[in-house]
Amino acid sequence: MKKLTDLEYLRLSKGGKALYKIKLFLSSIFPAIGNGIKRLGRSVGGFFQKIWNGLRDIGRTFKDGSWQTKLSYFVMGFGNMSRGQFAKGLLFFIFEAVFIIYMIFWGGHWLGKFSTLGTVGPQKNVYDPTTDTYISIPGDDSFKILLYGLLTILFIIAFIGTWIMNVNQNKTLDHIIKSGKKVKSGKDDLKSLLDDQFHKTLLALPVTGIIVFTVIPIIFMILVSFTNYDAAHDGYSNLFTWVGMNNFNELFFWNSGSSNLSAAFGEILSWTLMWAFFATFSNYFLGMLVAIMINKKGIKLKKMWRGILVLTIAIPQFISLLYVSKMFADNGLINGFLLNMGWVTPATVIKFWTDPTLARITVILINIWIGIPYLMLISTGILMNIPQDLYESSTIDGASVWQQYMKITLPYMLFVTGPYLLTSFVGNINNFNVIYLLTGGGPTNPKLLTSGGSAGDTDLLVTWLFNITTGAESNYKLAAVIGIMIFLVVAILSLIVYNVIPSTRNEEDFQ
Amino acid sequence: MKKVLAIVLALVMVFSFAACGKKQSDEYKITVWCSEVEGVKDLFAERIAKFAEENDVKISATVEGVSESDAATQMITSVEDGADIFCFAQDQLARLVQAGALAKLGDATAATVKELNSPGSVANASLDGSLYCYPLTDDNGYFMYYDKSVIPEEDLGSFEKLIEDCEKAGKNFSFQLTTSGWYNASFFFATGCVCNYVFDGDGNVITSTDTYNSDAGVIALKGMQKLLKSGAFTASEAGTADFTAAIPSAIVVSGTWDYNTAAEALGDNLGATKLPSFTVDGQTYQLGSFNGCKLLGVKPTTDTDKAALLQKLALYLTNEESQLEIYNKFNWGPSNKAAQESEAVKSNPGLMALAEQNVFATPQGQYPGNWWNVTKSPVVAAQKATTDAELKQALQEYDDAIKAGLAANGYIFVGAWNGWDNADGTMKLQGEGNVYSITVNVEKSDYMGGRIVKASSWDTDKGCTIVTEGKELISEDGGSDNNIVFLEPGTYEVTFDEGAMTIKIVKK
Repeated sequence: MKKLTDLEYLRLSKGGKALYKIKLFLSSIFPAIGNGIKRLGRSVGGFFQKIWNGLRDIGRTFKDGSWQTKLSYFVMGFGNMSRGQFAKGLLFFIFEAVFIIYMIFWGGHWLGKFSTLGTVGPQKNVYDPTTDTYISIPGDDSFKILLYGLLTILFIIAFIGTWIMNVNQNKTLDHIIKSGKKVKSGKDDLKSLLDDQFHKTLLALPVTGIIVFTVIPIIFMILVSFTNYDAAHDGYSNLFTWVGMNNFNELFFWNSGSSNLSAAFGEILSWTLMWAFFATFSNYFLGMLVAIMINKKGIKLKKMWRGILVLTIAIPQFISLLYVSKMFADNGLINGFLLNMGWVTPATVIKFWTDPTLARITVILINIWIGIPYLMLISTGILMNIPQDLYESSTIDGASVWQQYMKITLPYMLFVTGPYLLTSFVGNINNFNVIYLLTGGGPTNPKLLTSGGSAGDTDLLVTWLFNITTGAESNYKLAAVIGIMIFLVVAILSLIVYNVIPSTRNEEDFQ
Repeated sequence: MKKVLAIVLALVMVFSFAACGKKQSDEYKITVWCSEVEGVKDLFAERIAKFAEENDVKISATVEGVSESDAATQMITSVEDGADIFCFAQDQLARLVQAGALAKLGDATAATVKELNSPGSVANASLDGSLYCYPLTDDNGYFMYYDKSVIPEEDLGSFEKLIEDCEKAGKNFSFQLTTSGWYNASFFFATGCVCNYVFDGDGNVITSTDTYNSDAGVIALKGMQKLLKSGAFTASEAGTADFTAAIPSAIVVSGTWDYNTAAEALGDNLGATKLPSFTVDGQTYQLGSFNGCKLLGVKPTTDTDKAALLQKLALYLTNEESQLEIYNKFNWGPSNKAAQESEAVKSNPGLMALAEQNVFATPQGQYPGNWWNVTKSPVVAAQKATTDAELKQALQEYDDAIKAGLAANGYIFVGAWNGWDNADGTMKLQGEGNVYSITVNVEKSDYMGGRIVKASSWDTDKGCTIVTEGKELISEDGGSDNNIVFLEPGTYEVTFDEGAMTIKIVKK
């Protein structure tokens, strides 16, 4: 599309200007998408190119390598051991030995059953006449097959990685020996871990932790979402198996009579987003407001005001939330007080927790009460850092308080707290505590119950997930799908917002 | 090199020591889960120690507090890691049997349990005609606690008058109608609704009789509306603690576990009696209730000796002496007939009220997992509803949801005859062997096709290619979806055998 010069643009009518802007936007968006696809294609292509290069490299090393190197392809660590790196070579060798033993005795067993997740169920209620008891003889356990199968696959991947490392080591050794340099000893290697390789030493523990406690469970959850693992197929007494995309179909497309999970999912998702929006921004702006008020010149006893607000942090949240939950009950303290004052009658008590709309408003309000102190503390520090001369000069120029807020305070705050805003939005999407302790997901919503959601009006996706897994239904497969959905929602939102907020740009761009 | 050797030797030694400390053959290591209520753990540990002493066996028992409502979920999460003996609420029985977490009782043991315990509790511990666990208590029902200073004695029998009394006094009437299917069943049973789910030995529903969705159900909802629409209504889950709430209740429907709290709150003003009757359209209905128990189960093991010991221990933990001791400490009403006859139990006011109510009680059987959730929905809807049509609609939705829940485990015959709608096509499981069948009425239309699908999938492998009987009734070509296309309109019985993967079609 032809770009207009400034003068041409100014000559356009109001409507024309708007139209031009829309056209400009549309014409820019398609190349952007095209570029994105091209870039994706290039990175996929690059990935395969890399694999191909790697394979070629391994082949060439074998062809050109010394006999020690060649033997190391089969006996890992031989090249290292035979050329003075005994400890390192031994580690390689032990790893290979452990791998082979594991694969023969255990890994093969788990891998073989991985495709079916078990075929032989347990024999239940086998009668033993001598003791007059029924015993059971266990069969396959789908859960274990899935778990150990996954671990075995990861072990194989780790083995391949180590094997490649072993090849590369030999390649380097060949080079060093050819060029006549001295081969590094094990001691040197250990030393380098504290010196130029120190980053590896530092990262070893966190990376292991992330793999064991985050990555493997996530992969496991994703696998579960493709099985029929639930109360009726618990893996131990009744085997579960792969069902392809069935669970995703069930969530999005399946409906039977009034049973309609996609409707339940849509309703819960929309409330989750609504809640995250209000909970985050109400806290943010009100917290800032309180901080500005306390910071104002001429306010006395600043420390006391702050202290009072911070008290809510001092009490463990779950205690105060449970207590507040009781206070707002239909027959709780608040309604009791209103009744004694004669402001309500028993028939018109305020149904904080039993009226759907009111319950949603109440949780947001109570969340403000527990959230403001944190925001106040954060904002206080930042507000004090805003250069006072900005305010002074703008006052001289005749800016109103509102203008100062919009043009100085807010941009500065947003710049500094952008990432915080994002994390607290994500945190609120998964804010289990507040919802679960205040309402437990209630009040009961007949539509959500009969549509198969087993959720209440204030249930977030994460509390719904909790209900599904721990309630009477133990529907792990659906919970896994919902878990993936939560991940997608959070990931997409985070990526978009992260690219939009000013904080991620250069600091020089600010102001 | 020497260092490496030293490390290897050290490792070998560690492992061999570990092997030494593994097992002493004559000691049984068991885990027991019982109520987390204070003191129950100690009592169980005491009883187990006494059992070991009397029978001269070595038992090293770990007793942990896991609430009865939670035990089943924990067992199902991992049967292998679960306790050997555990106490649970009886509504969990079918799930536990399905998960293979309960060992059937041996014939002689079963006979003893049947002889010693009240018939209701034995029925509650059985599934598909066999005993799967031991009754521990027989008091899991509800009745009415009331404040004598507010409620005059002559009003006790009438639901309407009780509501009026509460309203007049500005006090509440606590009844968990909107938050619990267990409590609101009271009204449905009062009007003669039946709700029975029959489970097979694997814990699956075979057949069900559920008449909530009927005229009687509408009357039940109308009865509930009297309270639901009253300002005095509260569905608070706090139990008799409501007697001391900021807006106190004058009536709380709850069970024996709440007796001590109630007595503390009201002292001499506390009354306990059966539930009242309500009147709709000139007819009076006495409120019913559920009658259930706490059960004690044994996890199946492969070791016959241990299995036998666990069964003996379980029997001991639920015998007359144990149940009386539990009653003395915690006021749990015994299921053992001899214990029920003891003076202390007979004079307990809570248990007396329960006994009064139990005349109108329905033994609590087993229900599919989602039943407990879905039963709340018509009552919540009734709270707002003003017409009969709305009530009927709410009950219809309840019925659909339950059927859809059952269908999720089985097969559905969808097609032109039910508008490709899943709700009406649920095939019934015919006893053993996973054979499902349905009778459909095919009307004349352009396309009289359809197929059997597993819930939540649209798979095409259960279509015309696997029809073994009645091939002449259907078109040879099922199209790309492998559909069963009937040639003539009429009534057909379609039977699907899941194991053999065959379909039989018979014209009626």
